[in-house]
Parts: sequence; C-alpha cells; structure tokens
Amino acid sequence: MMKSLFLIVSLFGLTSCYEDTSVTLHQAGVYKGKIDSHSQTAEQREAILAKRFNLVQTDR
Amino acid sequence: MARMKFLCDAERCIECNSCVTACKNEHEVPWGVNRRRVVTLDDGVPGEKSISVACMHCSDAPCQAVCPVDCFYTTEDGVVLHDKDICIGCGYCFYACPFGAPQYPQEGAFGARGKMDKCTFCAGGPEEDNSAEELEKYGRNRLAEGKLPLCAEMCSTKALLAGDGDVVSQLFRDRVVRREGRPDTWGWNTAYKD
Repeated sequence: MMKSLFLIVSLFGLTSCYEDTSVTLHQAGVYKGKIDSHSQTAEQREAILAKRFNLVQTDR
Repeated sequence: MARMKFLCDAERCIECNSCVTACKNEHEVPWGVNRRRVVTLDDGVPGEKSISVACMHCSDAPCQAVCPVDCFYTTEDGVVLHDKDICIGCGYCFYACPFGAPQYPQEGAFGARGKMDKCTFCAGGPEEDNSAEELEKYGRNRLAEGKLPLCAEMCSTKALLAGDGDVVSQLFRDRVVRREGRPDTWGWNTAYKD
C-alpha cells in the first residue's frame, strides 16, 4: 500500500519537472497592448471634429 | 484621413495657464503630473513670448520607437497613445521625447515611478470609450464625444489650436498673412543667434 502510494506521489512530483520548450517570440516595434476600438469610423470622426473645429476654434 | 495636431500661436498666448488648469481638471491628473505646461521664452524681457507645450503626437514618435515593451500606438486620427497595463515605467520615452511630455506619478516610497502618463489629445486610451477604466487610467475621452481637446477649446485668445493638421495650418497661415510675417521667437535665426 505504502509502496504504491509512494510511487503515485513520486510520479505526481515528476510532472512538475516538465519544461515547456515553446518560446514566445515578440516582434520588436509592434504594439503589444489592447486594441483600441471606436464606435465610429475614422471618416465619421473626421467630419464631426472638422465641424467642431469650425464651431469653437476659428478666429473671432 | 485626419492627422490631429496641436499648434500654439506665440503672438496670441498670454501665459494665463488656463490650458494647464483645464487639462488637470478635465482628466483629474494626479498631483505632481502636468500633461501640459506653458513655457516662456525671454521671460521678463520686453517682447517675451509664451507657448503651451504638451505631447505633440509626432508622426514618427520617438517615444514609440524606444519603448522596450511596445506599449505605444498611433490611432487612425494620428494621436499617439499608450497602454498603461503593459507600461513598466522605465523612463525611456521621457529621455527620447524632445518636448518632455511623458510624466511619472510617484508611486510608493523611495520615489518609485508609476506608469507613464502623458497628453492623450483627449482621446482616452485602449479601454472601452468613456468607460470607468478609461476615465481612471487615461482621463476623459472627448474625441469620442465629438469634441476637441479642452485646453484648445477653452483658450480665450485662441492661441492654442487643436484639430486636423491641414485645417489648423490653414488657419495659422491666414493669421500670418494678415500680420505680414511670422514671429522670430524661434526658428533658424533664433536657434543660431549669438
């Protein structure tokens, strides 16, 4: 009984010796963060912000 | 596609620092961090000139080039933003930036640096638009609300302009034509004087 238990524990202990050999390669200069998503397209935003610029930024 | 840019008209800036205050208030910027500041050239000398400086959202941003964890990205609007979740606060971007835009809040004892903070052109960050996380980490996202940066919108003399680079430069060009010249506060003649 003790012998088999020792065998099981030993086998279980050996599983922690496993080493993952796959390496994660990161390409330098490529953004690694979360993707910034927008509800509007860039063209829609451009039109809205151009309108806003004429409203608040032009000379008085 | 639009490329968002700031432009400060030195002939109009009166060093009121309202842009600085507005930015700090709008984004609840922590104590010790200034995303925008006013720099005065020839201070105290007749003819002194002031300009409001923040991140200039460079087309080829040096901060982006030197970041060891690649946390910077440029949006479709040409705004340079970063992901604070992967920023390690190393300070490389601060050394690379010619405008001193990246700032670091003091975190913990012994002057430990926190995550880098800089002007977002009021465009928030990579979190969901106008979410609580975005507000906490990056400040308000005015661009998503169809508004331009507050610092420029509330500038009383319209010295600080923010918007599509083409539109901003056209407006400034018209001003220069009306004034019949540009100021010599900076430029080639000033950079190499004496």
